[in-house]
Amino acid sequence: MTRGGILTGTAAIALLVGVVVLAGGPIASAQSKKEVPLDTKGEASERPWKRYAGWPTRDESKYNTLGNLATPPAPKQPRKITGPITGDAKKGAELAADRNRGGSCLACHVMGPAGGANLPGNVAPDLSEIGNAGREDEWLFNYIYDARVYNPDTVMPPWGSHGFFNDQDINDMVAFLKTLKSPAAFKTTLDDPTKRPPPVEKRDNLDPIENPGMWAVDKAQELWKQKSSIGFSCNTCHSDPQTTFKTWAASMPKWEPRLNKVLGVEEFVTRHAKATTGANWLMETDDNLAMSVYLRFLANGTPIQVDTSSAEAKAAIERGKELSHRKVGQLNMACTDCHGIVANHWIRGQWLGEPKGQYDHFPTWRTSLLKVWDIRQRFQWCQVNIRADELPPDAKEYGDLELYLASQNEGLKLSVPGIRH
Amino acid sequence: MRQLSRRDALVLGASGAALTVTGWSTRASAAAKEAAEQIDKFTGGKTAEKGKVSIELPEIAENGNTVPLSVTVDAPMTADNYVSEILVVADGNPNPGVATFHLSPLAGKAEASTRIRLATTQNIIAVAKTSKGEFFTNQKLVKVTIGGCGG
Amino acid sequence: MAEKPRLKIPKEAKKGEVIEIKTLLPHVMESGQRKDKDGKPIARKIINKFACEFNGKPVFTANMEPAIAANPYIQFHAKVEESGTFKFTWTDDDGTVTTAEEKITVS
Repeated sequence: MTRGGILTGTAAIALLVGVVVLAGGPIASAQSKKEVPLDTKGEASERPWKRYAGWPTRDESKYNTLGNLATPPAPKQPRKITGPITGDAKKGAELAADRNRGGSCLACHVMGPAGGANLPGNVAPDLSEIGNAGREDEWLFNYIYDARVYNPDTVMPPWGSHGFFNDQDINDMVAFLKTLKSPAAFKTTLDDPTKRPPPVEKRDNLDPIENPGMWAVDKAQELWKQKSSIGFSCNTCHSDPQTTFKTWAASMPKWEPRLNKVLGVEEFVTRHAKATTGANWLMETDDNLAMSVYLRFLANGTPIQVDTSSAEAKAAIERGKELSHRKVGQLNMACTDCHGIVANHWIRGQWLGEPKGQYDHFPTWRTSLLKVWDIRQRFQWCQVNIRADELPPDAKEYGDLELYLASQNEGLKLSVPGIRH
Repeated sequence: MRQLSRRDALVLGASGAALTVTGWSTRASAAAKEAAEQIDKFTGGKTAEKGKVSIELPEIAENGNTVPLSVTVDAPMTADNYVSEILVVADGNPNPGVATFHLSPLAGKAEASTRIRLATTQNIIAVAKTSKGEFFTNQKLVKVTIGGCGG
Repeated sequence: MAEKPRLKIPKEAKKGEVIEIKTLLPHVMESGQRKDKDGKPIARKIINKFACEFNGKPVFTANMEPAIAANPYIQFHAKVEESGTFKFTWTDDDGTVTTAEEKITVS
């Protein structure tokens, strides 16, 4: 009797014997050329991929994703504005503070009294005195409409040409900008992004009373011994995970020639479980997350050290680097915008970090969501918030990006599960 | 002019308790009013003295879902004089009540820590009661951060 | 596979010492404020009471409201004069009581 992808009787036993021999002493090195079993036929996540319930439901197929190019080209010339702009400055102030229109101007700019000067960001210049800066109306209009006509590398989203605001909206905002002639009055020092101290993560993420994510370790230890429908568990072949996997996770992700893509720990778990015990642990399910946490937990303290020298790894890292530079979504941003050009600044009340330090604590417990997230879900969420369609978690592009990110985190010691907001 | 009731005084900070209320939207003042009522009920109408109570909270909470809180009362915990109850209210939450801690002299130290949910930037107010019937209070403002892009 | 309550409490102490006790219980603490995907309110279901006794005598109790965060964490102290057993109880709105015990040797 055959079930697709799951080993039958004698084949399973033969493999089992082979793997058990592998785990032994001197014989192991002679046998080590044997490939780790992986299911190469199926997908590693739900198909068709459906966005998570509760996430924004916008369809952004008109714009780039990490898997697809679609964004219309930037305009070549600023739009001509004849005559002075008249608009409703009061309405402009409201629009500038409206978070529903792509985050609000306050995400990046201090803007005088807009939004009550409540925790504005400082990714971009303070505009509180722009009314005195001698800027022409046409310049102000076009900077909001599509700043790429003045600065092709701008981080500023194309608010007009990508459909966030219509011409009247922008006129109103220009009218508001023209009233800004004095520094913002902050209610507390914390509201001033230049005085706000950068956050320091002080929690002990490995303290089970501090971090509910540690329950995933307990869960994985139970899953490890849980017998599948064909009678096998991880424990059947790996009876001493503390020793066997003491450093393994720090070498991931890794290029997998049988799949022609980079495999992260999460996808490895899906494919390896399917090909051995038959357990069905799709990516981003609770079981998969528990196992992914656990496999890294076992390697905690090991410095991240991924293959960056083989031809395939080099090519994947190059692709990942390019992807990190690609502008995606309706907001038209790249990873390297927030986590490169404007890293170490406030985006509204949140701190933008550099890539180094962004990988060693994944999967992480998220206190705002009461859930463990892996790095792929983090990629997906970033994309959806830049108003780009996300890819399924096992997308090859995410693999390239993850390998690039891991290479930027070389030397940092694993500390999983993390704890973050 | 109408004499301020103790409840009004608590809200307006006129009796040395120095309680202030941030935000004057209808919802905010309704929550603040209810918080004051809960405090009033706890003290039986008595005015709590500002002091002896210290509240540890982050100045900016990274999200409102889990904010670490610690309340300590600088008062003895002996059999004949101990902190018997600590009330905690949040004056900007839809339901301002947070917790009431009950201590016996066996607790040894008048301190309680937990993690709380905050709907918005607001004051956390703690009121301690001693076995002798005294009341002490303090409050702290917590700013709940605003997300950049939704991430 | 239910998650277990976590307790952090010393196994030994000196007579008269004031020890620190930390507790964490897995629980969603459904506040009653949330709505489901159809817009219907999700009913409140929280742990409304946590109690700690030592050798049968009350030490510390917390009456909790929905403002206590999910996976309720409670930290407090206890003055120990004798060896014995700490008993912890968590009471759910629906009446379910979860209990745990820890012994301590006091010399």
